Amino acid sequence: MFNMIIAGVGGQGSILASHIFADAALRASVTNGDNDIKVRLGETFGAAMRGGSVASHIKIGSDVYSPLVPEDKADVILGLEPLETLRIGVNYIAPGGMVIMNIRKYESVDVKTGQAEYPSISDIIDSFKKLNANVITLDATEIAIKAGTAKAMNVVMLGALAACPKNPVPRKILEEVIKDKVPSKTIEVNMRAFELGFSKVSEDLRE
Amino acid sequence: MNIVASNRINKKVLMMGNEAIARGAIEAGVEVVTAYPGTPSSEIVETLAEISNNFDYYVEWSINEKVAFDVAAGASLIGVRSLVVMKNAGLNVAMDTFMTLPYTGIKGGMVIVVADDPGAHYSSNEQDTRFAALYAEIPCLEPANQQEAKEMTKEAFELSETLELPIFLRSVTRLSHASGDVILGEIKKPLKKIGFNKHWKIPFRWNVYGPSGAVSKHRWLHLQMEKAKEIIEKSKFNTFTLPANTNIGIIASGLGASYAAEAISELGLKEKLAFLKLGFANPLPEEKLRKILKGLKKLIVIEEGDSVIERQVRSFAQDTFTEIEIFGKERKQILNPYGELNVDCVAKGISKAIGLQVKENQERVNIKNEIQKKVSPRSSTLCAGCPHLGTYWAVKKALQSYKGVHIVNGDIGCYEQGGYGVFSHKINPTDDNSKTYSISSPYEILDTIYVMGNGIGMAMGQSQAGYKDGKVLAVAGDSTFFHATLPAVVNAVYTQADITYLVLDNSWTCMTGHQPSPTTGRGKTGEKVKVIDIPKITEAIGITCIKVVDPYNIEESIQAIQEALDFKGPSVVILQRECALQVQRREKHKNPQIFIDRDKCTGCKQCLSLGCPAITFDSENKIAGIDSLLCVDCGLCNQICSFGAITLKGK
Repeated sequence: MFNMIIAGVGGQGSILASHIFADAALRASVTNGDNDIKVRLGETFGAAMRGGSVASHIKIGSDVYSPLVPEDKADVILGLEPLETLRIGVNYIAPGGMVIMNIRKYESVDVKTGQAEYPSISDIIDSFKKLNANVITLDATEIAIKAGTAKAMNVVMLGALAACPKNPVPRKILEEVIKDKVPSKTIEVNMRAFELGFSKVSEDLRE
Repeated sequence: MNIVASNRINKKVLMMGNEAIARGAIEAGVEVVTAYPGTPSSEIVETLAEISNNFDYYVEWSINEKVAFDVAAGASLIGVRSLVVMKNAGLNVAMDTFMTLPYTGIKGGMVIVVADDPGAHYSSNEQDTRFAALYAEIPCLEPANQQEAKEMTKEAFELSETLELPIFLRSVTRLSHASGDVILGEIKKPLKKIGFNKHWKIPFRWNVYGPSGAVSKHRWLHLQMEKAKEIIEKSKFNTFTLPANTNIGIIASGLGASYAAEAISELGLKEKLAFLKLGFANPLPEEKLRKILKGLKKLIVIEEGDSVIERQVRSFAQDTFTEIEIFGKERKQILNPYGELNVDCVAKGISKAIGLQVKENQERVNIKNEIQKKVSPRSSTLCAGCPHLGTYWAVKKALQSYKGVHIVNGDIGCYEQGGYGVFSHKINPTDDNSKTYSISSPYEILDTIYVMGNGIGMAMGQSQAGYKDGKVLAVAGDSTFFHATLPAVVNAVYTQADITYLVLDNSWTCMTGHQPSPTTGRGKTGEKVKVIDIPKITEAIGITCIKVVDPYNIEESIQAIQEALDFKGPSVVILQRECALQVQRREKHKNPQIFIDRDKCTGCKQCLSLGCPAITFDSENKIAGIDSLLCVDCGLCNQICSFGAITLKGK
């Protein structure tokens, strides 16, 4: 059984990223002939089109029925935004789990108007360490801009995930599904984004 | 190509619950599809509209759920398979026909899909519409996963024709908006057996008043439901696990059964408890109930929503199984009668009922509680460049010229966020406070929000009852204007209510995912259609004070709203500007030209109170900024800066 939650802010492409990953997981199980494997993807997004908290729960396994990951049971939290990574991570990350976090902040209206405080990145990392989780950080937005567009940040994060040993889905299948799901004109930039995210985390893990 | 239209039979694919329902309808050979958009149900008809050119069915976005329901019912009476889709609140709009149609029954299979929203993620309430199926006395299906959602939709058409009754299929957010593996089945071609028979099997069949009258037709409905019981008893959607040695049982329905299955395996109780998974919330399979209840000491009922199954089981058990302790959401409460389920609360509930000790890691709980304090809220906002931002700024400014406590009645749509408030705001709920309460952001403007079309009626009530402490306004969007406010506008003219109604016309039904509305000029598949003109309609109804403005022009908007507020009698301001997201999707996003002149910015934060997410603030240097990824150059912020610090490049 593998449980992951992708956390982010509406408009960051977390829904697309979760669909790519879940679809790839299903394709991988069909390719391997694992007929018992089930894939569930549950999404929570607020009423707004943009700017709200978004979390996608993904579960892969034979004993999977419901769409939501139980508390303390996420093997991986893929965080597209730091505050959202913490919001979801604190409840769901499993002891020994892996947090992959984009460090680019998307400040809330509460923070901007001075009514709430945004926790520091080091505070967030420390919090996860207290929960016995491992943390990988990267400026995925910056990497995406290097690849050609900030919009490909979600795919940078999928690349980062692919480099993580906990990831159960073969890189090749992930790449295949990305090519199927992103607009055809953006395949090249997305593949670049994937590769950059992958190599960034591969290097960090080697060190 | 959309996977829902795929011909690859037996292929295993990932599908959203709503897509699975759409696929089920195609596999059943659906012929007429209607809906008004409503989250979490919208993707069903969105999908069916998108792929409609590949198939031989008629699909429409109706003006509201009542019309959608009537269109589908009318089609069914002439032998056509029809599907009508709505969200929980949508059913309230369609209730009139919904309650009466079962008396005559239907001819072509008719399936009513309603997506409930436990947890109220996208809804004004958590109403459990399974009660409505019981109220209307029709069968109610409840899928546990995406595969079942497809199978049940398909089967519902067959069952509908067998019983000559409309069939209710109840989904929930976590099913409709969740995805799972689904095996594709064969697509059936529509039968197209269209015909009308006034006296089909029963005299004056389609006329509840026709001889022999409504009571006799009600009796017929009861006879049909007896037949339904027999069929449902054998249904593959109600399934059993009965281990030999147990006196503890679980009855779980719909998605609740999926949570229960996972919780049971989490607790290591697999195959150790008697388990009845129900696919029907109405009627219940009594033989199967009898079988599971026999010999039980404890029964746990798990269902998403209210205690619809629990109450029925309790009433059934009263006959012969009075000794059984029944746990659920009432009396012996192990689950909350509000909010949504998840594996954790179901596992805790089961443990509590059977007296299982679950050890909690208190140290981890303490660490989590400490961390939680750092998780600051993220209040919902309108999008960057949203025309409603301009409208709300203008409303705020316009009202400042009048003394008193004004009432702005809200409605349902993106603009309802004008009443969401800012989560981290501290509010003292006392009457005195509310009188001095100043609006500091567009998210605090709306005073009342309930349901679609309600705001203008409420405004009339306040005005006619003699409210004199301030102005009375209502706001609603273009789609809502047609959906539910038209009769209220007529009412306002007829009674000459002294209210101001702002129509926030952004040309789309945005909140539910940008479905076309009568103001879009586009039909369900993007084809050009005539725009239905809101100003002309209001004029024809008899409104004499009508203003049409662009909310991107703040000065003009303020003036128009004030003129309307000064008018005695009903006035309408139509604020027209297309949704910024839709414009962006069509036109390629360029680098924004708006920028902050750092020398002129005083750090006063006035621009922040516009509420646009593209405006940032550097609290260290006390200077505002523009997020170039979000900004769409709407020009609202440079109109409100008193220091001329926000300007356009090259100017």
